[in-house]
Amino acid sequence: MMDTLSLLAHGFSIASTPTNLLFVLVGVFLGQVIGLLPGIGPAAGMALLLPITFGLEPTSAIIMLAGIMYGGMYGGTLTSVLINVPGEAASVMTAVDGHQLARQGRAGAALSMAAIGSFLAGIGAVIAVVFLTPVLSSMALSFNAPEYFLIAAFGIIATASMGTSSAVKALLVAVFGLGIALVGTDPLLGTSRLTFGSLDLLEGIDFLPVAIGLFGIAEVLVSIESREEMEPMKTRLRDLWVTKTEWLSCRMAILRGGLIGFATGVMPGAGPTVASLLAYVIEKRWSKNPERFGRGALDGLTASESANNSAVHGALVPMLALGIPGSASTAVLLAGLILLGIRPGPMLMNEQPDLVWGLMASMFIGNVMLLVINLPLAPVFASLLRIRYAYLAPGILVLSLIGAYGATLSLFTVGTTLVFGMIGYAMIKLDLPRPPLVLALVLAPLMETSLRQSLMLSQGSMSIFIERPLSAVLTVAVVGMLLLPVIRMLLARRRPGIAGA
Amino acid sequence: MIATHLSRRLLLAGVAAAAGLASGILPAGAVEPRAPTGPIEVTVGTSAGGTPDVMMRRMAQVLQQTGIVKEPPIVVVNRTGGSWMVASNYVLGKAGDENTYLAIAQPMLTTPITQGLPNTFEKLTPLALFVQADLVVAVRPEFEAKSFKELVEIAKKKPRSVRQAGAQVGSTDYMVTGLIQKAGGVEINYIPFDGGGSAQTAFLGGNVDMIVLTIDEALPLQKAGKARILGVLNEKRRTDAELKDIPTAREQGFDVVWGQAWGLMGAANLDPAVVAWWDDKLGKMVQTPEWKKMIADNYLRSEYTDSAQTKVLLKKIYEDHLALLRTLGLSKQ
Repeated sequence: MMDTLSLLAHGFSIASTPTNLLFVLVGVFLGQVIGLLPGIGPAAGMALLLPITFGLEPTSAIIMLAGIMYGGMYGGTLTSVLINVPGEAASVMTAVDGHQLARQGRAGAALSMAAIGSFLAGIGAVIAVVFLTPVLSSMALSFNAPEYFLIAAFGIIATASMGTSSAVKALLVAVFGLGIALVGTDPLLGTSRLTFGSLDLLEGIDFLPVAIGLFGIAEVLVSIESREEMEPMKTRLRDLWVTKTEWLSCRMAILRGGLIGFATGVMPGAGPTVASLLAYVIEKRWSKNPERFGRGALDGLTASESANNSAVHGALVPMLALGIPGSASTAVLLAGLILLGIRPGPMLMNEQPDLVWGLMASMFIGNVMLLVINLPLAPVFASLLRIRYAYLAPGILVLSLIGAYGATLSLFTVGTTLVFGMIGYAMIKLDLPRPPLVLALVLAPLMETSLRQSLMLSQGSMSIFIERPLSAVLTVAVVGMLLLPVIRMLLARRRPGIAGA
Repeated sequence: MIATHLSRRLLLAGVAAAAGLASGILPAGAVEPRAPTGPIEVTVGTSAGGTPDVMMRRMAQVLQQTGIVKEPPIVVVNRTGGSWMVASNYVLGKAGDENTYLAIAQPMLTTPITQGLPNTFEKLTPLALFVQADLVVAVRPEFEAKSFKELVEIAKKKPRSVRQAGAQVGSTDYMVTGLIQKAGGVEINYIPFDGGGSAQTAFLGGNVDMIVLTIDEALPLQKAGKARILGVLNEKRRTDAELKDIPTAREQGFDVVWGQAWGLMGAANLDPAVVAWWDDKLGKMVQTPEWKKMIADNYLRSEYTDSAQTKVLLKKIYEDHLALLRTLGLSKQ
């Protein structure tokens, strides 16, 4: 404990040299901007900027790259809330409720709460990384295929409770999403499935263009067809801040979202996107007003934003302790280390204490900087919505399509985005919930590969899901979640009977 | 029949050809080298952080830092999708373009084989192969086998009882497993993961017994007591201090020799003057202390072949892969 504290103090002395402070600031600022741009996520942004780290002091370089990684989580919120276009993958759930809040004139509150949630969860996560990395890294390894399958199954079942209409509709949409996820190359065998000979479909349908289409473009289509929506959204200055009641109702969402996000981030197989989805669906279970979810629930938004930021920090645990990338961003971070001549691996923390502890200290500083950048800017950005929608709509369309192109540099993705824009429009008209589709698309590959891997590990026996202690706990949770509505229904039936007797 | 084996033989042929050059006999049609005008874009088929991506970024880094290439700038661009086919097709569509290049990596050769598509490498302009990585087979520290022989014995006792994590079916890991199964006459329970990172996680978590890694991945794990290296899949032992005690599979009686190689290709019909420029620049790059240090630090090898030699070598490597994938029943060509 004392040892860790003195190491951390040493880390702060490294991170707070003027040069390194500047690199933290540059990193988080770039992350904020990259997060803002739809399509280019933090991983792609970091890769783009890798060449400028050549020749830098390794610690400064890694501090800056990591800054982009978590800065992106703050930045992605903005476009999600304001124009319903997720700035990066982990902000999809933010788009669901954030944009509804914006329409109710609460964009400022949504942005501020997201920033506060990200900050508190981020700081909590860094503290956990500092003190618990050795312990957590062995925990991270106890998660494997069977556990991932159960977590993904849990997420898919939870989609039933998403959206504002019936559970059956939500599940049907989720099944549609699972079907789309099958398109592409078989993740294990490498054979092509449902590609109809198209090379573009070999990689499958990525969920980011789908999300941009379903949320961003569909929203524009629906909005421009109704005249009254053309009025600028009412955002009064006093609505720009979080009220006391809002803060009180979101406190626990930050804690729960942060914990779920961190745990998910530590697992090498699941990243910030899965974390924010899980945090959202679990928050809905706990929330006092689950009916608001999908219609502008500030606690839902806070939970998923807190989760994605703490997941990003959690992903550093397997990276620092074992040299395993837990997410696309940490993979680039590892590549950055290698290019700087540092070999990652289980010995990294002993061999490069300056780098590791400097990085950890820099994350405290970086998160503070991001809060300072984001809080005053939230009302400024929210004021953008005062612009008449007629002027805003073309801009949103252009931004969405550029984002779709930027994600893969191919026009095929732009087409995918447009097609899903139309599907999204139809879904709004038919009152079908859109989040289950995106959620199924994200979880399907994890669910499919981990189920097949589990059964290969056990040579076909289902007992693998109860023999491993962690799996057993998760199996109980999944089965319980399936049975809960049935039990509730039975109880509800019996109650009038008892009363009548 | 194996890539690394052939590469060495061809290298000798290359040295002989170079000696011919030095003695003043210039090949017919030799041209004055000319640098491409405008930025150089190296297309990589994996996302940032993948091994081929890191190799290309290293090349760009060394070329620019040593001042071998001051102008034009070299940018690495990731075009993922279709197991390298998106990147290949992008460069295929740029015939005659002197700014667009493609990284050579195994999937560029194997995806057309496993998917039954026309070959890319025959249409593009080969420039060089310059990095090779050696592979090792490692097991969990508590696993009984201390050598290849013991591993094969255990696998023989109960078929499919030895579990191995690796990348997708058809990847390098999978091909190596195919060679081990053939050499030992055993069956291994191969569990594919969506990449080397996830396979390593499964291995470190004790979910499987065995894994195929590159040396730079395996050594830190062995040092930390998290893995035991059974053997390296080279023809001969490595001579580096840290590696000289690792026996080869061949000296343990199992003819399993396989490796990985990376390099660079240009678009179709690339101007011979630009090809000559690359020959000059990459030939200089592999001689720099910066490059040599990077190779040594990461336990890689740098057996450089110029554009003419690469054309021949690539064809050989392709045929090796085709033959192996055919015996594994994965070829659609």
